[in-house]
Amino acid sequence: MTSIDVRDLTKEYGGRRAVDRLTFRVSPGRVTGFLGPNGAGKSTTFRLVLGLDRPTAGTATVGGQAYAGLRAPLRRVGALLDARAAHGSRTARDHLLALAASNRIPARRVDSVLEETGLATVARRRVRTFSLGMRQRLGIAAALLGDPEVVLLDEPANGLDPEGIVWIRTLLRRLAAEGRTVLVSSHLMGETAAFADHLLILGRGRLLADTPVQDFIRARVQPHVRIRTTDPAALGDLLARHGHDASRGEDGTWTVRHARVDDLGRLMSEEGVPVLELAAQEATLEEAYLDLTTAEAEFTAQHQEA
Amino acid sequence: MPFAPVLHAEWIKIRSLRSLLGALAAVLVATAAFSALAAADADDSDPLFSVFFGVSFGQIAAIAFGTTAVASEFRDGALRLTLAAVPDRGRWFAAKVTAIALPVLAVGLLTGFVTLLVGRAVLGTSAPGWGEGVRGAVGCGLHLTLMALFAAGLAAVLRSGVATLSVLIPFLLIVSFVVGDLSGGAADFLPDRAGQVALHSSWDGALGPWSGLAVTALWTAAALAAGGWTVRRRDA
Repeated sequence: MTSIDVRDLTKEYGGRRAVDRLTFRVSPGRVTGFLGPNGAGKSTTFRLVLGLDRPTAGTATVGGQAYAGLRAPLRRVGALLDARAAHGSRTARDHLLALAASNRIPARRVDSVLEETGLATVARRRVRTFSLGMRQRLGIAAALLGDPEVVLLDEPANGLDPEGIVWIRTLLRRLAAEGRTVLVSSHLMGETAAFADHLLILGRGRLLADTPVQDFIRARVQPHVRIRTTDPAALGDLLARHGHDASRGEDGTWTVRHARVDDLGRLMSEEGVPVLELAAQEATLEEAYLDLTTAEAEFTAQHQEA
Repeated sequence: MPFAPVLHAEWIKIRSLRSLLGALAAVLVATAAFSALAAADADDSDPLFSVFFGVSFGQIAAIAFGTTAVASEFRDGALRLTLAAVPDRGRWFAAKVTAIALPVLAVGLLTGFVTLLVGRAVLGTSAPGWGEGVRGAVGCGLHLTLMALFAAGLAAVLRSGVATLSVLIPFLLIVSFVVGDLSGGAADFLPDRAGQVALHSSWDGALGPWSGLAVTALWTAAALAAGGWTVRRRDA
């Protein structure tokens, strides 16, 4: 199977390191989310993998080969880098036809990806009349054109409407289920959590995490339980007696850390404390990410002081 | 990667942009129309140039064609998409140049012969002979092609259509007209002056019709080499 291998990849622009000794592998059969704030080096990494920019040091390969050495690369790797890349005066179909011709991809594939991305009815309209969401779909159509084993998408959800976001989520899951290697960058946590199995997190050009999504969240954020009651005094007393780490919010909601709904529910029932709400609060990717970046910022600050 | 599919892709890009087809049409219309106007008011000093006077205008359309075809790749990440499909940059640029050259050459030769026929009709008895006329028509086609490619090479170096046209148009309209009329010496070797010797019945500079076109071809080769070098060396 085809994986993307990045080794000690470094790119400097005029002395500034956009990408700093990155090493990771993106494996087939799962969606890998590529997270990081704007300017963290995600797009630069994509360009380096695609051989568009020359690395200062290190290598990036697809299936063990440098991208520039691939014959008919669109049949191996499909990429969306910038939805504006299609010329506004060209029709969507002509835009894809030119790309297809360069890699000897038959014209019927053009019609089939237009169908798949929901652009069939506007295929003969000029791209300048498209909304950002439609351009994004056209960029994804271009990425799928060669039926590639590896798919790289840079911020594919940008500009998509809610229906489009559900569509891209389903598409990414399907591509991974078909055994393809899927790398998708985003700076939206909720979105990434919805489609990714694995995470690569980038901060200022460096790799901060390379981990399955669930492990990442569990390791960083403790789940907690939220309780509302009509008898806060009894509940507070109960929680204190059993040594729970609990606090009461301004709206009267209790938050209990390091606890399980099963235990607390039984306890409250036995003591006869009335329950209005009892819910497990799953930790989110966003919380885990913020925890990571906070730790990272403190680490950096300490090093600067030292 | 083989060359033919890349050339095919570049041809699709050209035929699918109306502005490029418009520029090709303008080459023919501007050259023939301005030539006919000039011929109607010509003296007898240079019958061939009376027929092909309009090439000075047609070449601006040819330059716009060459510039736009290349510059359309240098906006909004278009080149990245192109080079992701065709990572062999030298081959891609060669295909782009070929896809520009072939239609301009075809339209340029057509322009040459249409202009010749129109000019002969307008001039009547003072028209140039057929031998001289055919040389002018072929020279017209070659000159327009070379100018389009010169612009294409420059656009690849400057990576911008606006920058390319801001250099070339004033150069052709002002420098070449003003300096060119002083004639003699170095000005004869400027790209558009050298190539246009082929459109004259007589010449007194160092360059003849074919050596003039050869000088323009050298300019064009230099521009294309610089453009190809830029495309290969720079990050996309």
